[in-house]
Parts: sequence; structure tokens; C-alpha cells
Amino acid sequence: MKSYPTRAVALLATAGLLVVTACSAGSSTSSGSSPGADQSLSIGLVAEPASLDFTTTDGAAIPQALLGNVYNGLVKQDETGKIVPDLAKSWTVSPDRKTYTFTLVDNAKFTNGAAFTAADAVFSINQVKTKWTTSLKAAMDVVQNAKADSPTKLTVTLAKPSNDWLFRMTTRIGAMFSQTGVDKLATDPVGTGPYKLGSWKRGDSIVLQRSDTYWGTKPFFNQVTLKYFKDPTALNNALLTGTINVVGTVQAPEALSQFTSNDKYQVIEGTTNGEVLLSFNNSRPVFKDVRVRQAIRQAIDHKALLDTCFAGRGKLIGSMVPPTDPWYEDLTSVAPYDLAKAKSLLQAAGATGASLRLRLPTLPYATSCGQVVKSQLEQAGLKVTIDQLEFPAAWLTTVFKNADYDMSIIAHVEPRDLGAVFNAKYYTRYDDPTLQALLASADAGDEATQVADMKKAARRVSEQAAGDWLFLLPNLMVAEKNITGLPQNAITESFDLSHLARS
Amino acid sequence: MIIRLIERTAVLLVSLVVSSVLVFAFMAVLPGDPARVALGVNASEEAVAQLREQFGLDRPLPTQYLDWLGGLLRGDFGISYVSKAAIGPQIIDRFQVTLWLVVAGMIIALVIAVPAGTVMAARHRHVSGLALSALSQVGVAVPAFLAGILLITLFAVKLGWLPANGWTPPAEDPGMFLQQLILPALALGLVQGAVLTRYVRSAVLEVLREDYLRTARAKGLRPFPALWRHGLRNAAVPVVTVLGLQLATLLIGAVVVERVFVIPGLGSLLLDAVSNRDLLLVQDVVMVLVVAVLVVNFFVDLLYVALDPRLRVSSR
Amino acid sequence: MRRLNPSLVAGGVIVLLIVVTALVSFVWTPYDATLVDPASRLLKPSWSHWFGTDKFGRDVLSQIMVGSRTTLFVGIVAVGVAAVIGVPLGILAAMSRRWSSEVIMRSNDLLLAFPALLLAIMFGAVFGASTLTAMIAIGIASIPSFARVIRSGALQVMRTEYVLAARAAGRQPFPIAVRHVLPNVASLITVQASVSFAIAVLAEAALSFLGYGTPPPTPSWGRMLQESQEFLFSAPRLAVFPGLAIALAVLGFNLLGDGLRDRFDPKLEDRR
Repeated sequence: MKSYPTRAVALLATAGLLVVTACSAGSSTSSGSSPGADQSLSIGLVAEPASLDFTTTDGAAIPQALLGNVYNGLVKQDETGKIVPDLAKSWTVSPDRKTYTFTLVDNAKFTNGAAFTAADAVFSINQVKTKWTTSLKAAMDVVQNAKADSPTKLTVTLAKPSNDWLFRMTTRIGAMFSQTGVDKLATDPVGTGPYKLGSWKRGDSIVLQRSDTYWGTKPFFNQVTLKYFKDPTALNNALLTGTINVVGTVQAPEALSQFTSNDKYQVIEGTTNGEVLLSFNNSRPVFKDVRVRQAIRQAIDHKALLDTCFAGRGKLIGSMVPPTDPWYEDLTSVAPYDLAKAKSLLQAAGATGASLRLRLPTLPYATSCGQVVKSQLEQAGLKVTIDQLEFPAAWLTTVFKNADYDMSIIAHVEPRDLGAVFNAKYYTRYDDPTLQALLASADAGDEATQVADMKKAARRVSEQAAGDWLFLLPNLMVAEKNITGLPQNAITESFDLSHLARS
Repeated sequence: MIIRLIERTAVLLVSLVVSSVLVFAFMAVLPGDPARVALGVNASEEAVAQLREQFGLDRPLPTQYLDWLGGLLRGDFGISYVSKAAIGPQIIDRFQVTLWLVVAGMIIALVIAVPAGTVMAARHRHVSGLALSALSQVGVAVPAFLAGILLITLFAVKLGWLPANGWTPPAEDPGMFLQQLILPALALGLVQGAVLTRYVRSAVLEVLREDYLRTARAKGLRPFPALWRHGLRNAAVPVVTVLGLQLATLLIGAVVVERVFVIPGLGSLLLDAVSNRDLLLVQDVVMVLVVAVLVVNFFVDLLYVALDPRLRVSSR
Repeated sequence: MRRLNPSLVAGGVIVLLIVVTALVSFVWTPYDATLVDPASRLLKPSWSHWFGTDKFGRDVLSQIMVGSRTTLFVGIVAVGVAAVIGVPLGILAAMSRRWSSEVIMRSNDLLLAFPALLLAIMFGAVFGASTLTAMIAIGIASIPSFARVIRSGALQVMRTEYVLAARAAGRQPFPIAVRHVLPNVASLITVQASVSFAIAVLAEAALSFLGYGTPPPTPSWGRMLQESQEFLFSAPRLAVFPGLAIALAVLGFNLLGDGLRDRFDPKLEDRR
């Protein structure tokens, strides 16, 4: 399958929020009250979903709230990034790497009362191919056939070997739906998860209630409120004054000092999948010259930029791979800050004094970093004009769909998105057969081949300066001291609530 | 009086129709196909066509307009293209929130403005009057959101007396409702109060130099009792007008305070709808705001007549 | 010699201060107001940076100075739009027959139902938010108050003997409007312009705060205030300076308006 270009609106759409994630089983929840207790928790998050239906609506906010909580998949990622069982107890892969046989749990129930069977899994997989309208559905194109051999036995046949497919099954497209529960997905989701939708006050909060019919270990909290805040300062204030117990994603890192200096709170700092990309429109003549792209990368002092626009939190990466992926390498040395070098590269390319339009989405980090980028590039002899496009609608149409831009800044938060982002059909308009060949070989090969080829791919985009990676968004959370089970790193699409507890 | 009532009602109806046309036309010129906008940039042509048909966007504009207007008259606001949820309940919900906020702000404003403005007028040559005057000038100059930020910093973050933000419906938890209402209502009320004070002052000054008040004073009544007996009713006319105008502007003006205090009001709904390009929702919210303003102005007009006996005689 | 009018003097001085600041900022600011300098971020006020620096290392004083340009520019355009449309409408309403006058004033009332914030958000949705959409929205929303004030002033002028004489002499309405009415309502226009200016400054600040006003990196007081929010705990001074600047500007234009009103209408002097 050709790596599908326009896969990641979703991811983009996320950009506003750092997707906070799952899989934190780590911290113990032994002490304190037992799961039977009527305890509730309130978590402050940033972007509110516009709908609860991720089969037709893009955006990270919906899986963040529902995946792993209301919906289960066949498989999921654990905290180290490994693929582990969820609704599938185990699975085998045929020698030709094209047939997957899953053995499913036999005690899972949907919240509408129906039992979960292999027929539901077949239904869910086929729904992605026929009914979903978001771009992410493309990851399911490689599936040739899905068949229920018995209520607990599922066979999936792929058109060609694909490492990526099983991985994508841990994301929202792997969510299992009930055949009798998909009529009102936008407002009334039905899943097999530890929680069910209690209420949704639009513009304010989503309340999740513990599901009595959950097949696994029941979660500690009886009720979890996801409260949404437009304003990062208001979010912090809500924790300070006790309206919420956890800030799920800190958007105003400068304000962290008020929590670190107060022993009522714990601050968690880890990594995410959110690469903040200074994207180049590679179809523009000026960007066809690799020297111009390299010059821009070397004209930016990434350390100073991170200090200035994200209070020094976050990590410098130098390519499109976060540290939690198996093929991560520190590539920051590929394009070190060197103003003189940048100037001479521009001179050589005849691009000194070129005018570039930096079109920013109206997101706090993009607005901040954009001003630093502008100032630094102007020192290297480029003319940069900033204009702001309202996020999501205006930015998605102008930059993302029509590629009417020279440069932009957005966090790509989808997991393993290198191939999706650097593609001729994507808004980066990056056309590179060498890269495509590497990606195809990585997808088809065994584990060792995949890691080796992905490393080469990451180095390739960095050396070719397909874009500039400003930094990796940190997983920044603040919580009351006695909350346990919060994930160190945010590497999945969901905010898994089932491990949270109060000690 | 009756003639005036009929005349005003006719004007109101015409204004409502004209503004509905304006709002609809404005949304119709918005660039982009609402169905495509709602489905996102990667939706297939078929999916877009299906949504267009489902929501009747493929019909001629006049038909769509009449359909929308008809729906509004029946209290049916339609279904959001983006969230697929009915719009009516959302608007009613949010409208109540904003109304609580604005009314509470207005009450605070009145509580400040009437005594302060009266004192300022009655003692306009004294130090106390001048000091109050200067204070009101400063109050007018502070934007409501700045007042909000200051109030949060002081009373919520530093002193911890009240919650920094949030909203609880009164039916759910009246205590919490009041606690969360105080700061945003103060932010609105202090600033509006300063504005209103100035109108109260000049209205009272106006009344003070009317003959009947001079007569009352000549008969030996002290200034405040004289005002109380004779003046306030007359001073109320211009104040009520301003109050009406403020109420109308605040329905949308409160959006800034709603943003600072994370209150799910009508203004926030509009901002969300705009950034999601939830066009029917934008159209409905704008229309509701406009109707609210027109209706408030209509009642202010009537009240005007009721309060001022002189206006009852001559028609204008 | 009449006694000094304190409002006029105070307002005049403040407004003059802002205008001079804006003019000076064209030729000189202590630093480049948009130059990002990570090495000197979040500095406290000192001799080299009187108001300190923000999180980008930009000099706050320079930004306040350049920001005054944005404020004045928005105010001038908004008031200009309102006056250019509102004044003729008001005069027209005063001079025309009862029925057409009624239509004009009713349309004017209708416009009241579209406050500046609502218009700016709607314009922002269509054209993308910018200083331009904000100015025009604020301008349109200020038309009704202009039209009302000018109409009532013009009505008085229409009853004066020289206008009655001119009409009796068969003068056309347009020359009457230009020669007699306009000069006599000029003072009203000035007062209203000053008051509207104050409102425009507030509206621009609110819009920039919501992200519907001046886009970065052009300095704007409203956006500076918005950006300062995350520092309320660690560096509250970042909110103090733009907050004061906005309040001072509004205060200045309001005082100037009051002062002008007293000046032009001495019999009201001790009422206002």
C-alpha cells in the first residue's frame, strides 16, 4: 500500500492539546480505599471534542477521552511502547506475515448489554473501511479479509506484510464497536471499557462513570470528570483553587513554578509523540533547494528557542522520531546552530533576502515559537512575515488542505507519523523516492529490518532538512500529591483513567 | 399610549425580519461549503454530498432561509453539522448561564451606581463628590477582563477565598453556584457600575435643577429627602435607558469575562462555534443575541413611557 | 477669562502624551520592539530596561510605545468609519421628512443589536481576524451613537432663525447641510469622537485578548496583557504596564470628551 498521504489531520487537529496518554500501570495503588469506594476525580484538559464520534470527526480530543476508557481495542500499547493484549488474549502471525489469528476474551460485554464476540471485531474492522470518513481509516486499507471462526477466534488476512497495521490497531481505528450500538456515536458511545459516558455538558465537561459490566479489573475511581479549559492560566488556577485534581496537560509552562514551589502538588515531566514541526512547503521554488532548507535549520538556535517559547521544557530531537520509539536516535547534531554557515548557504543558493510567509495556527505554542523563528531567520538574512490563521478551521483549509503557505508551525502528535508527514501528497509536499523506499521496506520486513530502515529514514529527513523539528512537546502534568498512576510519558492516543488512584 | 404600543411592536417585528435576513445573508457569503467544513478536509465527495442532502444545503438559498426562519418560529434551531446534536437545548442552556451572569453584574452595578451617582450629583461641588467622580472615571477605564484577572489573582489565588473559575448550575449546588458567580459578576458589575454612575449623576443633576425640586427645597426639605421624594423617579428614565442598552451589549460583551472565568455562556458558545466552523450554530447564536437585544430595547422603550408621565402625553 | 477646565486639561495632557509617544516610536524606541533576545528574557525593570523585558527578551517599554500606535490607529480608523457614516445619517435624519427620518433612525437602532464584539467575531470568521476587521467592526458598531447625537444637534440647528431664513430663501437642502448644519454640530462631533475613541480602545483590547484583534508580532496592549497571564504568579509586572496603558488611554479620551463638552456648552459646565 502506498503510505497514505493525508492521514494525519487528526494528529494535527490535536496539536492544540498534547495528547496525554495511557499505560502507566507503574505506580502502585495498594494503599488507601479499595476500588469499591465512591471516589471521584476531576481532570483539567485543553481542547474539548466537538463530537464524540471519531469515526467521522478528526481530532485528538475524542480518543483522548474515550479510547481505553469507553472503548477497548484488540491490542494496546504498554508504557514502554510494546504491543500487549487487550480484548485479544493472544495472537499468532503466519510465516508469510500476512495472516493474524486472534484469540479473544470471552467475558467482555458492551454497555448496551450485548456480549463482545469475534463478529463484533469483524464488524468494527469492516466499518473502518466502509463507514469511517476520517483520513486515519487508510491504515485499514491493507486488510483483505476479516473472519470470525468462532465467537472467540478472529482471523485477519492482509494484502501484504505490514508491521504498521498491528501497531495502528492500538490506536483509535482498532476500537471495538457493538454491532447494535453504533446509531448515535456522536452523542452516545457504546464500548466494552472500564468507563461509560455519564454526561456531556458541552463547553464544560465530560463525565465518565465506572461501568458495572466491565470484564477486567474495575478502576479505582467511580466517576471521572474531564473538564475543558480554553485558557491555560485558567486551567492552572482551577487546580490551585481545588476545582480540579489534575492538570492533564500544562500549556503554560512558565507558570509551573507556582506548583514546583508548593508541596501540595506533584509535577510530572516526560515525553510525548508531539513533534513541533516548522514545516516547509517543499513545492515552493525557494524550498526546492536543499541548501535553503538546511540554512533555515542552522539559523535557528533550538536551545534558545525552547527556553524562550516553552520555558525550556521539552526535548530537542532533530528528526521526526520521539525517544519512546524503538528506532530513536539523537539527531540534533545533524544541523547544529551556526549563523555564519546559514548565511553562506543562503548566499550560495542565491536566497539571501528571500521573503517567506510563516502562517501560524492560533495556538499558544505556535504563536510564541513563530515570533522566535521569525526573529532568528531575519538575522540570517531572510524576510519573514507572520500571519495567523484561526485553528482549526482556517488553518486546516489554507495550510493543510490547500498548501497555501511557505512555512508553518504545528505539533504532529500522531504516533509513528514520519511516513505520513513527509509525503508528496501531504501539506509538506515532500517528494522523496529514497525515503518512500526505506519506509516500504521497514513496513514489510522483520523487526530488525524495521528498526534499521526507520533509523535510516529518520536520518534521511533530517539530513535533507524536509522540515525543522523545533522540539518535542513534553508530557507535563501537575496533580495533587496523593494521585497515583499518572503516566510519565504520553505515547498513546488515550488518557487511560483505569490506572489512576488516590493514595 | 396604545398607538405607541402598536407602533413599537410593528417596528420590532420589521427589525426582527430584517435582521434575520442580514444574519442569514452574512452566513451565506461565508467562504466554504458548510458540509465540507463540517466533515474536515479529508472527507470524500460522497460523504460531503450526503451531508449536504441530509441538512438540505443543496436547496436554493431562499428555501433554506424560510425553512430556517420557520424552524426558529417553532422553536426548532436545527441540528449542528459538526456535533450532530440539537442546537436548541444548547442555546437555552448557555443563554441561562449568561443571563445569570449579566443580571448579577447589573445588580452589582446598580447597587454601586445609584447611591454613588446620587451623592456625586448632590455634592458635586464638594470634595466627596469630586473624589467619587474621579474614582468612577478610573473605573470606566478598566477593561472588564483586566478587572477579572485582578480579582482572580487576589481573591482566588492569593487569598483562596473563592474559586478561580468554573460554573455550577444553581439547581445542582446553590452554594457552589453563588461562590463561583461572585467574582465574574463583580468583574462585570464594577466596570458597568462605574459607567452607570456617570449617567445616574447627570440624570440626578438634571432633576436637581427642575422647578419642582427647587420648590421642594424652598419648602425646607433637605437635598436628599427632596430627591428621594421627588427626584429619583424622574432621574430613572435616562438611567433605565442606559441600563437596557448595557444589558443588551453585555449579552455578548460578557464573553471576555466568560473566557477569563471559564464560564460556559452564550459568548463562549459563539467563539467555539466560530473556531469549529459550526456554521448553523453560529447563525443561531447570532440570531438569538440580536433578538435578545431588540426585545430588550423594545421593553426599555415601553418602560420609558411608563416611567415618564410627560412622554405619555406627547407621542414622541 | 473662564476658569480652567480640569477635565479638558487632564484629558488633553494624557492624549497628547499618547500621541507624542506614538510619534516618537516611529523614529526612536529604546530597543527594537519585536527583536527576540533569549539572553535577556524576563529581566526586572532596570536602568537599561525601564519596564523590564518579556518572555521573548523584548523590551516592554519599547512595546508599549509601539503599541500606542496600534491603539491610536485602531481608534482613528474606527472613529473615522463611524463619523463618516454616522454624521451624514444623523444630519439626513434631522433634515428629512418624518417618515424617512423614522426609517433612518430605526435602521440605526437595528444596528445597535450588532455590538462591536459580535461584528468583529463575525468578520473574523469570514475574513480572518486582523487589525482591519477589528477596526471596521468597532467603527460600524459606533455608527448609531454618532447618528443619534448628531441628529438631535442638527434638529436644534434646523430650528434656528438663519436656517429657517435660508430655507425660506429657497436654498437647497445640501448647501444648507454643509454651510449651516455641519459647522454647528462640529463641536458635537468632536465630543462624540473623543468618547467613541475611548470605547474603541477598550474594544480593541478585548478583541486582542480574545485573539480577534491585532495579530503578532505587531505589539498591541491587549495582546501583551493576554500574553502576560501565564506570568501573573512569577512576573505580574508584565500585566501591570499594558493594563495601565489601556486604562490611561481610556481615561484620557473620556476626560477629553467631558472637557470638550463643558467647553462647547458652557451652560452645562457645572452639571457634568
